[in-house]
Amino acid sequence: MAFKSFLKNVFFVEILKGLALTFRHLFARSVTLQYPKEKRILPAGSRGIMSLLRYADGTERCVGCSLCEIACPSNVIKVISAEEEGQPLKRYAKEYTFDVTRCVFCGFCVEACPVDALAMTPVYEYAVYDKRDLFFDKEKLLAMGDRYFPVQAKKPAYIGSCESELFLLTAKSKGYPTKASEDQPLP
Amino acid sequence: MELAMQTLSAVIMIGLVMATVLLHVAYLTYFERKILGHMQDRLGPMEVGYHGLLQPIADGLKLFFKEDIIPTGANKIIFSLAPVLSLVTALIAFAVIPFGTGEVSFFGLKFKPYITDINIGILYILAISSIGAYGVLLGGWASNSKYSLLGGLRSAAQMISYELALGLSLVGVLLLAGSLSVLKIGEAQAGGFWNWYAFSLPFPQIVAFVIYIIAAVAETNRLPFDLPEAESELVAGFFTEYSGMRFAFYFLAEYANMIVVSCIGAVVFFGAWHAPFPFLEFSWPSVGIWHIFWFVGKVYFFLFFFIWIRGTLPRLRYDQLMKLGWKIMLPLALANILITASLAYIVNAYM
Repeated sequence: MAFKSFLKNVFFVEILKGLALTFRHLFARSVTLQYPKEKRILPAGSRGIMSLLRYADGTERCVGCSLCEIACPSNVIKVISAEEEGQPLKRYAKEYTFDVTRCVFCGFCVEACPVDALAMTPVYEYAVYDKRDLFFDKEKLLAMGDRYFPVQAKKPAYIGSCESELFLLTAKSKGYPTKASEDQPLP
Repeated sequence: MELAMQTLSAVIMIGLVMATVLLHVAYLTYFERKILGHMQDRLGPMEVGYHGLLQPIADGLKLFFKEDIIPTGANKIIFSLAPVLSLVTALIAFAVIPFGTGEVSFFGLKFKPYITDINIGILYILAISSIGAYGVLLGGWASNSKYSLLGGLRSAAQMISYELALGLSLVGVLLLAGSLSVLKIGEAQAGGFWNWYAFSLPFPQIVAFVIYIIAAVAETNRLPFDLPEAESELVAGFFTEYSGMRFAFYFLAEYANMIVVSCIGAVVFFGAWHAPFPFLEFSWPSVGIWHIFWFVGKVYFFLFFFIWIRGTLPRLRYDQLMKLGWKIMLPLALANILITASLAYIVNAYM
């Protein structure tokens, strides 16, 4: 055994194995991507800058509930909610600001949104000369959404329509259930 | 008149050899980066020119226009002379290296593919390369920096240790060839690779050849023996404080030294300019061109091997380096000389 290992040392067996490995890799396909010329194909659902979505008729989806602001772990989102004039039940985000420089792209805001008003675009190349350009307001976020999610869903009939107001009125006239009884289960 | 013609042709030849060598040195850096890159599944330089072919020129221009910084407390004269010493000793070794044979005349001027052939060629190269160690040592000392000094000291110790093995590994061949002239050693190996001194019977110098390769890698301060410039320990070793042109001089000197040891390896062990098989000795368009082709091919084989070794092996520890040099390489080289000399004596005396 000692003689065998001595022979292995004399004939550089281990070094020759290493040399063979590096020689094989000389002809292996390199993993480098020539980045600005070639770009990676991003996987579906990759998360870049967040954006605000619209309905197909052009109205904003956001109802200004601030749940995204609460869900955000790095306090990137700021929502100022307001009533639509003449329609006290209909609220919207008067201001919606989003600081891309501090965003960690976790996507919690998208998960928190009850009306699916938010979506993560695949934009990861957002280098700018002025850092303030990365402080997005509502217009910019909506523009992002228009650009990266061109297929917009139809607005459900019950939101902001006379049917919804009728529904609310009938619900109010019936009165809210005060006590859950067994013969009248909750709808 | 005769003397003037000879001088003129010698000057032109020196210019030609220097230009060729410096071009090859520049592109050796490119080949090294490319080969290392591909061995590590990268691409290497790709941006400047087609597949990065102009990268060495871009690097050279950058280093030319860099600010020349001399650190405070540095010995200014020695600091600026040391890189020159390193580069000059690396380049003047090419004076005796034969790139081929034959003779070409232009307008009455006679050119040979080597600058000169002196009868102590090998000794001259060894002597010159020893002076190169001073460039490294003085540069490290004059920089007024801990890293540089440590790098310089390590380099001095390493070069002295491995120069012994390097010189002794050549002695076997010198015994067999009976000459120190590089040209004569080359001429003695004509006709197929079985006549090259690394493989020639009755005394193949294969052990000496392996010792020579290891010592040559150590002598040129390259991985796995790059302790004088061990990046992870000594920043950049002896040229930590150097920048701009002086840094480029050290860089060129290192690569020129690589080419020198490859040339000596090719001449002494690998049959110089002779083709590996007799049927490959073509005579069209001319014998001389094919001689240069085979010589350059062998030199590039060695250079590729050095880069290959760099891409494969990790760095030795300092005590391992010294142990290998003094306890293994030196006794082996001495034993090789002893056996070769006694066998050569016996064969000459009784057969």
